This record gives sequence, structure tokens and C-alpha cells, in this order.
Amino acid sequence: MALPYIKKETIHTAGRVGIMLGVSGLVGLLGHTVGLDRQQIISCSIFIMIIMATLLFWKLRLAIAFVGIGALMGANVLTLPTFIRECKLDVILFLVGMMVTVGVLKELGLFTWIIQGVISLKGITGPKFVVIIVFLGAFMACAVDEVTSIVFVATLIFQVCDTLKVRPIPFIIIAVMGTNIGSSGTMLGNPVGILIGQNASPPLSFMDFMHWSFPIMLVTLSISLVVLMWWFRRDIALLSQRLEVRREVGLGLGPLVQVPYKRGLAVLVGMILFIALHHHLETKLGLAPNTVLIVAPLVIAGLLMLWRHERSRHYIESDVEWWTLLFFMMLFAVAGTLEETRVTQKIADYFQQTFGSRLSILTPMVIGTSAIGSAFVDNIVFVAAFMPVVEKLQQTPLLWALLQGTCLGGNITMIGSTANIVALGMLEKRYRTHVHFLEWFKVGLVVGAISCLIAWGGVVLLSPYMPTVKERQIHRLAPASPDASRGSGQVQSKELQEQLNVTEKP
Amino acid sequence: MANKHNHIPFSSLFSPTEVICQTDQTDRDTLLKNLLELLAYQRGIGNVDEAYSFVLARENEMATIVAPGIAMPHARLEAIHQIIVGVATSKNGIIFDKNNPDKLVRLIILTLAPKDAPGAYLQAISSLANICKDPTTADIVANLPTPEKVWSFFEQGGLVLPDHLCARDVMEPGEAQLQEYDTLERAIDLFVHHKLNELPVVDKDGELIGVVTTYELLRVCLPDYILWMEDLTPIMNFEPFAEILRKESKTWLTEIMTSDYAVVEDTAPAIQVAKEITRQKANRAYVVRGKKFMGVVSLEKLLNKILRE
Repeated sequence: MALPYIKKETIHTAGRVGIMLGVSGLVGLLGHTVGLDRQQIISCSIFIMIIMATLLFWKLRLAIAFVGIGALMGANVLTLPTFIRECKLDVILFLVGMMVTVGVLKELGLFTWIIQGVISLKGITGPKFVVIIVFLGAFMACAVDEVTSIVFVATLIFQVCDTLKVRPIPFIIIAVMGTNIGSSGTMLGNPVGILIGQNASPPLSFMDFMHWSFPIMLVTLSISLVVLMWWFRRDIALLSQRLEVRREVGLGLGPLVQVPYKRGLAVLVGMILFIALHHHLETKLGLAPNTVLIVAPLVIAGLLMLWRHERSRHYIESDVEWWTLLFFMMLFAVAGTLEETRVTQKIADYFQQTFGSRLSILTPMVIGTSAIGSAFVDNIVFVAAFMPVVEKLQQTPLLWALLQGTCLGGNITMIGSTANIVALGMLEKRYRTHVHFLEWFKVGLVVGAISCLIAWGGVVLLSPYMPTVKERQIHRLAPASPDASRGSGQVQSKELQEQLNVTEKP
Repeated sequence: MANKHNHIPFSSLFSPTEVICQTDQTDRDTLLKNLLELLAYQRGIGNVDEAYSFVLARENEMATIVAPGIAMPHARLEAIHQIIVGVATSKNGIIFDKNNPDKLVRLIILTLAPKDAPGAYLQAISSLANICKDPTTADIVANLPTPEKVWSFFEQGGLVLPDHLCARDVMEPGEAQLQEYDTLERAIDLFVHHKLNELPVVDKDGELIGVVTTYELLRVCLPDYILWMEDLTPIMNFEPFAEILRKESKTWLTEIMTSDYAVVEDTAPAIQVAKEITRQKANRAYVVRGKKFMGVVSLEKLLNKILRE
């Protein structure tokens, strides 16, 4: 009978609503006891409510974010101008451009070509396949973002596992972990990359990521790969056996066709070059930092839509994840109120009072906190809240620590990053099966802990060579300012002078 | 909620007055008309001509010979509110199916069911399953000299209408099946030969281990990574199919076999079949006893049996 079922569901829902409101209320109460004012309490409570909503009501998170924004505005904590400023349209537009471009690349056969390249490899074995999916996932994440990457790598895994009749779950876990680690390599790898890069003051460039994050990612990825290959050694051995049997009878892993991939490859390479050269172009053209970076995917998407005008509406309507992007906008705005109401300043002060200004303590603290936070909360949620805190600490290595922590922490649990959720969704849809929390958590904790330790070592090792905030400001602003490039090297730009007044913490 | 067990004896559906015993009539249609007129007189079945046309239409579509010498013509009528049965026996046998003149029928059980009673006819057939298994039943009943003795035969047999239809009542034996060691080549041959979209795969013990579908075959030829491409030029001439054709004799069925199909126990209520077909969005359900493959219920046959027969 339906009635008890409805009652049980209603009780569960009411319980979850109770937990969400209870935790939100507790945070408000805690804020009151530590001396936060009314506006700070409201912004903290609503931010926590949205975090809880992502955990308890995943499918309703956008609706709850809309209501949260309304509540913040109703309580006069958030104004319309602040909302428009804080919802970070620059990040959103960048992601729209990337999503459209990826949609076109998919139709142009680029990803088909890549997958065919893997399944047509001669002499492929289980370990080789694992190395390929880990590095393919990581590098594709670096080039086109982690979610796109895992969709294509998961398809490759399903193709191979279906053909060989082996359990796909271990290989999906391996690929997701490789993709998450790879997503820390470039600014394009993960929405948190562009959020950190764009919100750092001064903004970080694509090449900054290549200098300070990509090498750490490579080391982390290689060592994590060894750990994953040991962890799943039995499944990999079984894959090798099945591959050998198939090879003996001369069968491949799937049909192969001639793919006209060159146009897609040219678009991808062009886009990456365009983005990689953004700082140089901005300097030449006298544009504000990261203007080209943000606009490049949009311009490329626009050109592609002009070229394939009959499909342009499809790209916008189907390939852009509007649901996710709207949620990001709401979330950024709510996180913006934390900064607006100076909650983040208070947290930063607390951090400094507790841990001082020593990088040797702050770096592992930021990596550890962000990894644990990202393990249980969507990493973009965590970065949106924690970025202003890290910014206030005014130390460049901490930005990289935050990036590493949030990307690598996503591996710890199955809900740790969007890539995990997308891959598990695909698995569930295709095989009507799911990964148990502990099955993921055991390997996730090991890989997460090891990779965070490596990332810590990497950041500490590179810290002495990283530019300070002041040096970054000089580097980013001086060449772009027509005034600064003239005369006897004296900085004349008022904006630059103001920015240089910010003192670098020791 | 407790199940209600009605246990309606088959003999309660008719009385000796509704039996035509050892008729000399050899024409099927005339006998059916006579039987309907008798039922109209005894029980009231509404318009006899209309009932006759329904019974005849059904019979002409496919003869209802359910066992050697036994036919069960039937119709659904709006005018009646319960199952009404009339029985006739023939001395010399009647040609029921013009295409099979050798199959003479000696026992005719005419079943009239209310229009809004899905499956009533199948329940009646199901209750007679035991006597139908015995090939001598028709002769035994046809030799009984009086209507009372005919009625007593059914009464003493303890035949009872089941509370509900089971999966086995609506299934049909699988006309084609594949063995686990078969190759893709054989599967394609059977798909084409039997004009089927799905084939069950059984192991050496006859246990159902999977299903191969034409859709899965198509997906093997056109996997996701090929479907991503908007440009069809690379596959315009069915290039991925060519590779499958080259390797069909080497490709084991297990590679494209799916374990995601609708399956029900033979003793499960027939409504479970409908539920599984709906839940799996399938066109057919596979009936098993334990794991042993018993038969198939296709959606169209199920609907026909429940809504039309």
C-alpha cells in the first residue's frame, strides 16, 4: 500500500530538513557566542544551509540556493549590486565558453579519435591500460576540465570492460582519481582553478599554473598511479588475462572507423594556445589581467557557433550545464556575503592568531583543511568560502596549497568532486550498480593522504621560488599599464600604486 | 491484506442441462450455434447471433484446440456477469481446424466470459490443465453416455479455477534459444530467421544465463564513441558493421549478452509479468523455474491473452 511508503518518505524528508535547519541554526548560535554581528550570523547560517542542502538534498540544491539568496536579500545582508558583483560572471562565462567548445569538439570526432587510439593499441595489457586511463584522464582534465574528461574516459572504460566482461568499478575509481589529480594541473582543469586564479589578487595566469601546479600534479599523479595499481592489482591482472585471450583469437576492443579528427584537434590546440598566451596578449594589448583568458573560450565558442550555425542553439541548450552554472552563481554570491560581512576576515584573523604567519604551519593547515572540506562538500563550495580567507593571509604558496587540497581532497570520498558524481552516475545508469561508500573511501583515503603529502612537499619545495604578492602585482600590472612602461621605470598608475601599498606578510 | 481463496470448482460453471452429449452433428459452426442457443435458453447470454459471431471470429482467426481432441472456443460478452460454460461431446469427431482436418475434436468446452474480466478464459483453461495433459481425456469424456456423467467427470476431477493466473499460464515456449557457446554468427542467423528482437541464452543445463538483443548488437556496431560524431561520413557505408561481419564467427555471444532483462518465476502471478515488462521497459519477459528457462511472454501476446482472449 502506498500510504506507509509516503509516510516513511515524509519522515525521512522532514528529518533531513530538520538536520539542515538544525545545523544552520547551530552555526548561527555559535556565531553569536563568538561575537559575530546579526548580518554575519545570517550570512554564515545561510551559507551552511546551502552546504547542508548539497549534502542532503543534492537534486534540490539549486532551489535551496535560490531561496537562500532571497533570504539574504530579505534580511538586507545581500544587496542586488553586491549579488551581481559577487556571482562571478567572469568565471561563469568562461565555463559557458568551455562547455560549448567541448560540445563542438565532441561532434567533430576528436574524442572518438582519442578513444579509438587507445582501443586500437597493439599489445595493450592491464597495467598499460591503467597507465593510459590515468594519464589520459589527467591530461584531458588539464585541457578541457575534469567533468568532460571523466565522461570520455568512463566511456572508454565501459567499452573495454563490456567487451572483456570485467567489473568496471575499479577502473572507474582509478580514472576518476587520475582525473581529479590532473585537474589541479592547469587553470582549465577544474572550476576551482579558474575561481582561485581569477579571485587571487592579482589574478593568477595560465602560465602561473603551469609553473607552480603542473609539476606538482605530475609527481602526485605518478605516485598515486603506483598506489592505485597496487591496490587494484587483481582486477588489473584479470584485465590482462582477458586481453590476452582476445588477442589470441585476433579480436579487437571495438569497431574502428576513419575519423576526420584534424579539425577538432586544430580547434583544441588553438584554444589551448590562445589561453596559454593570454598573459602575453593582455600585456601587448594593454588589457586588464585575465581578460583574454576569460574571453578566449567565449570567442572560440562564438566562432564555432558561426561555423556550425545550424547547431548553435543545440550547443547552448544541451552542452551548457545551466543547472550547475546557476548553482555556482548563487553559491558565489552567498560566499561573497561572507566576505562582504567580513566573516572571512575574522576567520583569517583567527587563522593568523592560531597558526601565526609561518608557511611551514599554514601550508599543511590549508592543504589539510581544504582536503577534508572538499572530501565531504563540493570543492567549489569550499573554495568559494575559503578563498577570501586564504587571500587575506596574503601568501602566494597558500593559493597553490588551497588548489591542491581541494582537488586532491575530492578523491577521498565518492561525493568529493563533480567528476566522482558524474562517473558514478554513468556507472549506475549503465550497469544499475553502485559503489559502496567504504569501497571508495578506503582507497580514497590512502590516495588522498599520500597525494596531499606529496602536494605539501611540492608546495614547500617550490615556495622559495614563488613570487610574493607584491612581485606578482608588479609583474601583472606594470607591463599592462601604459604609464608604467614609460619614463624611468617609475610606477605612475594610480591603480598600481594603490595595489602596491598592500604589504606582503612575512 | 490476506489473499482471498475462492476455489471455484470448474463443475460449478455449468450443469448437466448445459451439456450436449454425443452429438451427431459434424459441422463445427452449427454445433457452436446450438451450444450458444442452449446456453441462452438455460442461462441467458444476451444476443445469441452476436455471441455466435464473436466465437466464430475467434475460431476462424486461430482454432482453439488446446489438447488432442479438445477445443475451447470462447468469447467475451457484455451481457453476462460471470463465466458461463457449455460442453458438447461428439461421437465421430468434428473438424475444428480446416487447415488440419485430421485433428478431430470430440470434446468442446465453450467458455463465455464477462467483457470486463481479463484473463477469465485463461483461468478456465488453467483449471483444465491437468486433464488436458492426458491424451485420452477427449475419448473418455466423449464416450460418456449422459450429460450427468459428463458433468460428474469434471466434478469428480476436482478441477478448480485458480485464484489468479500465473506466469506459466500466459507464457509460450521459447521458439528459439541460443547456447552459451554459440557465436554472434548464429545469433544473427536466428534473429533474421525468426524475425525476433531478443533471444534467450541458456547453458548446458538449460538455465537462463542472459539475453541477446538486436539493440545490443546494434550498440556493439555503433558504440557511444562513434555516436558522438555528428558527421556520418566515416560510417556512411556501415563500416563498423563490416568489422562485426568479419569477426562474427569468432565473437562469443557472451560479449554482447545482457543480464538486464525481465524475468519471472513460472509460479509468479501473471500480473508480475506485466509489472516486470513495464519496469524494465522491455517487450518480453522470460519465465524460469528456479534458473531453468521455461518460456517467454511477449508483451503483445500478454495483452492479447489478458484483454482479448
